[in-house]
Amino acid sequence: MIRPFRSAILATTLLAGLGVSSVACAQSPAGHNDPLEPVNRGFFALNEALDTVIVKPVATIWNTVLPKPVRTGVTNVFSNLDDAFIGANHLLQGRGKDAMTDFSRFLINTTVGVGGLIDVASTQNLPKGEGDFGQTLGVWGAEPGFYMVLPLLGPSSARDTVGRAARIASDPRTYLVDAWSYGLTGLEFVQIKADNLDNANLIDTSSLDKYAFTRNLYLQRRAAVVQSGREAAGAR
Amino acid sequence: MLRFVVSLCVLFACLAPAQAQNASAEDLVRRMAIEVTAQVRKNPELVHSPAQLAALVDQRLMPRFDFNRITQMAMGRNWPRASGGEQNQVVTEFSKLLVRTYSNALASLKDLDVQVRDSRSNSGSDVTVRTQMIGRAKPVAIDYTLSNASGGWRVYDVTVEGVSLITAYRDEFNGIVGSSGVPGLIAALKQKNAK
Repeated sequence: MIRPFRSAILATTLLAGLGVSSVACAQSPAGHNDPLEPVNRGFFALNEALDTVIVKPVATIWNTVLPKPVRTGVTNVFSNLDDAFIGANHLLQGRGKDAMTDFSRFLINTTVGVGGLIDVASTQNLPKGEGDFGQTLGVWGAEPGFYMVLPLLGPSSARDTVGRAARIASDPRTYLVDAWSYGLTGLEFVQIKADNLDNANLIDTSSLDKYAFTRNLYLQRRAAVVQSGREAAGAR
Repeated sequence: MLRFVVSLCVLFACLAPAQAQNASAEDLVRRMAIEVTAQVRKNPELVHSPAQLAALVDQRLMPRFDFNRITQMAMGRNWPRASGGEQNQVVTEFSKLLVRTYSNALASLKDLDVQVRDSRSNSGSDVTVRTQMIGRAKPVAIDYTLSNASGGWRVYDVTVEGVSLITAYRDEFNGIVGSSGVPGLIAALKQKNAK
């Protein structure tokens, strides 16, 4: 049973998938592909408002109230779950050696690191990798397509939204009972926001048009992630 | 044999300046990183005084950045369309914004160490020095691109985890110039700096 919020994302993804073929080539003169800009700006404004009213205050309180070891523990548990997905993606990209590292990390941190609370693997010369379904699609040759701003989730592209849907569909949390599913997703969301407060504030002070600035940072960063994936896949 | 020795000498003579060039660029980046973080660590109260922090960045780092070139590249095709006076104004205001951004970033990065990894020569006299900041769960890759065109190394682009500073601003600048011209861009920069 897939939750309504998630079905919304899946629906968006399907729409995006349909749109990719028709709009993907419509590059604007400024060099970015953003045919949905008016809609995106709307969602961006919504996300900004939610950030100011709820998310940032909660994240700030989170950082103030909880001691650092607890916060690190929460970050680590989700990061550990993610390692399994990173490994799967590295396999899909044909990066067997990297996948071995990711799965070793997952195994060691789940057992010795007490369910992922402690990142033991990083001290054992098993560095954390970088991988997701959007990257895999990119390594396989998919272009990012048009830029999208998803409600709550923020910047994305047609390709990365498809990747995100694949992640949600394959995440065991999706199939837990409602309360746990929402609870764990919410906890991860708050922890990610709390970990990135500094970055969010930095973008505030450095940008003139925050929407355009964020869009550019996102697209550049994703291109770099795909490029490094391609290089690693080629060098295996 | 003699010919071999001569050609070897010629080879080294050609190689040596290139290596020395990279080494001096690496050295500059290393000094920049160490000097400022050392100052902030010595005077932790600096973090709570944005004006003093900005003064430190302005004095220590800014002479090593080529703001003319940074602004020119960030404006892209709009640079030649602006008058000389407008160009100067954009350079002044944009450098103020960058000083402030850098000072803000320093406050949260003060406990991190910078390692110079390596450097490579690009086309012309440009060198990219790759560094990483360590101290967090994952090292952050920061690349500095420098040129030696006008006597002495100066930085003209910074790339953080694959995100180039110049490219990030180009999109934004293009949009603003497109809708309200170069005067609009100057006004937007001034307004941002006044906050």
